[in-house]
Amino acid sequence: MHVDEFLDPKILIVSGKGGVGKTTVAAALALVAARHGRKVCMAEIDRKGTLPKLFGGGEVTYEPRELSPGVWGLNIIPEDALAEYLRVQYHMSRISRVFRSTHFVDYITTAAPGLKDILVLGKIWYLEQDRDHGGGAHGFDTIIVDAPAAGHMATFLKAPQGLADAVRLGPVRRQSEWLNDMLTDPKRSRVHLVSLAEEIPASETLETSEALDKELGISQGAVFANAVYSRLLMDEEADEFERIAADGKIDELCDVAKASGINLDDDDLGALHGYARFLKARRNIQSQHLRKLSRGVTQPVMELPFLFSAGLALPDIETLADVIEEQMETL
Amino acid sequence: MSAARARLNPIGEIVDHKEIVVCAGSGGVGKTTTAAAIALQAALDGKKVAVLTIDPAKRLASSLGLKELTNEPSKVSKRKFTSAGLEMKGELWALMLDTKTTFDEVVTRYAPSPEQAERILENRFYRNISSTLSGTQEYMAMEKLYELHADGAYDIIVIDTPPTRNALDFLDAPRRLTDFFESRVLRWFLMPYMKAGGGIFRVANVAATTFLRVVKRIIGGDVLQDTAEFFSNLEGMYDGFKERAREVSALLQSDATSFVIVTSPGEDSVMEATFFAARLNEAGLPFGALIVNRVHPKLGDGVDVKPRQLTKLEKQGDQGQLLAKLIDNEEAFMRVVRLEEKNLNALARKIPKHRWVRVPYLEQEAVDFAGLSLIADKLFEA
Repeated sequence: MHVDEFLDPKILIVSGKGGVGKTTVAAALALVAARHGRKVCMAEIDRKGTLPKLFGGGEVTYEPRELSPGVWGLNIIPEDALAEYLRVQYHMSRISRVFRSTHFVDYITTAAPGLKDILVLGKIWYLEQDRDHGGGAHGFDTIIVDAPAAGHMATFLKAPQGLADAVRLGPVRRQSEWLNDMLTDPKRSRVHLVSLAEEIPASETLETSEALDKELGISQGAVFANAVYSRLLMDEEADEFERIAADGKIDELCDVAKASGINLDDDDLGALHGYARFLKARRNIQSQHLRKLSRGVTQPVMELPFLFSAGLALPDIETLADVIEEQMETL
Repeated sequence: MSAARARLNPIGEIVDHKEIVVCAGSGGVGKTTTAAAIALQAALDGKKVAVLTIDPAKRLASSLGLKELTNEPSKVSKRKFTSAGLEMKGELWALMLDTKTTFDEVVTRYAPSPEQAERILENRFYRNISSTLSGTQEYMAMEKLYELHADGAYDIIVIDTPPTRNALDFLDAPRRLTDFFESRVLRWFLMPYMKAGGGIFRVANVAATTFLRVVKRIIGGDVLQDTAEFFSNLEGMYDGFKERAREVSALLQSDATSFVIVTSPGEDSVMEATFFAARLNEAGLPFGALIVNRVHPKLGDGVDVKPRQLTKLEKQGDQGQLLAKLIDNEEAFMRVVRLEEKNLNALARKIPKHRWVRVPYLEQEAVDFAGLSLIADKLFEA
């Protein structure tokens, strides 16, 4: 697959169950896009600071800020989005200040469910259309949305349709249709799902993918199977070691080691054996779920390595970006 | 077995002495599975147990041999235990929170008259609350827990907490929701719509009217009407809500309850766990144990090999290459082990280690009843 094809369209929505590394994968995708000369905007939704941690400090607010060369970040807070909407649509900037001190957004979003999601999607639409509302137009080529966890994603993406059904006439009806068009047009938006090669996240990923396809009609890119143990050792090699041990020929191996100046005691041999077994066992579980994922979805499944250094800082994201780039070529 | 276990294992101690166990932690750390495993072991020990799950986990139902979980407890068949080779002395019941139904019951209980309850239940704004208002699910989880406990039918109730982004949300939920219902600002804004108070349209309320005009354009007039009606109907019920919120708080703070924090050794969830322990302390809620899931096993102290030696080893034929790979693999895992130890050491400074239970990564997954019982073994191991 050509790189540009993989990195298109402009809006890439990244989602997955809690704890699968959704933000990390979104950030790696952002780096890949930036390496290919795109000006990228990463949008977090209403939360406090996973992005700044990955990109080394500072605060991410409603106003986009450059986090690393070519990668910008913002935090879409519904209250801010409402204030922007009221300011732009109704020239009401004073009253919007009241919202901050009250539960106001809670009330109206309860009164009209989905409104919070609409406000967030509205901001994404502003970014996509590159509207200048005082802060200057940014000219982003790619917008990566770190979407709500999979359980809430369907509600999130369905919101414009729901609102369009509820409101028959007027500007709000028209605007919700715009948002729905934006999401369902494969030339404008696409969803990437992040999963783990484990029972619960993998099953949930399959369900989400099917819902996106059948109920929401939203285009899908790849499924990222995150944290897959690299094959530092093949199954056959682990077996070979077991065989040597069973044949009582461990001493021969120890002699080979000694020839290179390495002294292996019983504890060391136990550890080599134990981790070989552990890798094999966990890999087998993962392979089973990787197969299940590949069979269950039509889009490509991309394996991302478990990071043995897992400090989850910029270098780790760079590593994941390298892997994505490599695999992109082979798709 | 029980008495011996109690001295050694914090989870065993909790199950032996407490009536309520609350499992909390950030997303994806295995809260639901842990809650089910604790409940399973308590039932094996001879208790009558209810496990209340918040997460719509179909898999949990099927692993317990139930078609589905509902808002009312269903009993796990004794055969399920026997066929897994387990001798169960007690009873295991499972249910899944249905926020809407629970909320309906609360409204019916506190409404001054059946007619008023009916008016609220039919109100559109009310019907939206259960699915969209943040905090509702948490509030109802606590309500359901209270009911189950007050019912007195179970020796012990194990509950997992909602998969909120912030694991602490449910602690504040009752208060936040009561505040929400009582807000003066909202009433002020809705005044033109409120029938109560004689429907006086005050001139002083110009700001509210201007504001309402805009809101009306965004969400529609009938929605506002519904909202105003909902709040009018709620009059007279606040005291009941508040009283109940106080009772729930008191129960959670009492000796009968124990909070179990579930975490993985990852940096983020360790930070969340630390924060959570501090919050429990502040709120006067009884912390019972910390469960560290998915720990990579520590095997040995690390092979002492220099890169130069490894390069040399790789040139020593097939056996040399095999050994080099084995060492590579071992070193990679040891890096993770050390990293996890570092994260966990930071946690140990906040939560004393004698309250910990570590559950290592197993060589198989806990996807069925037998798997749950394997996790239970690990949890209750001294």
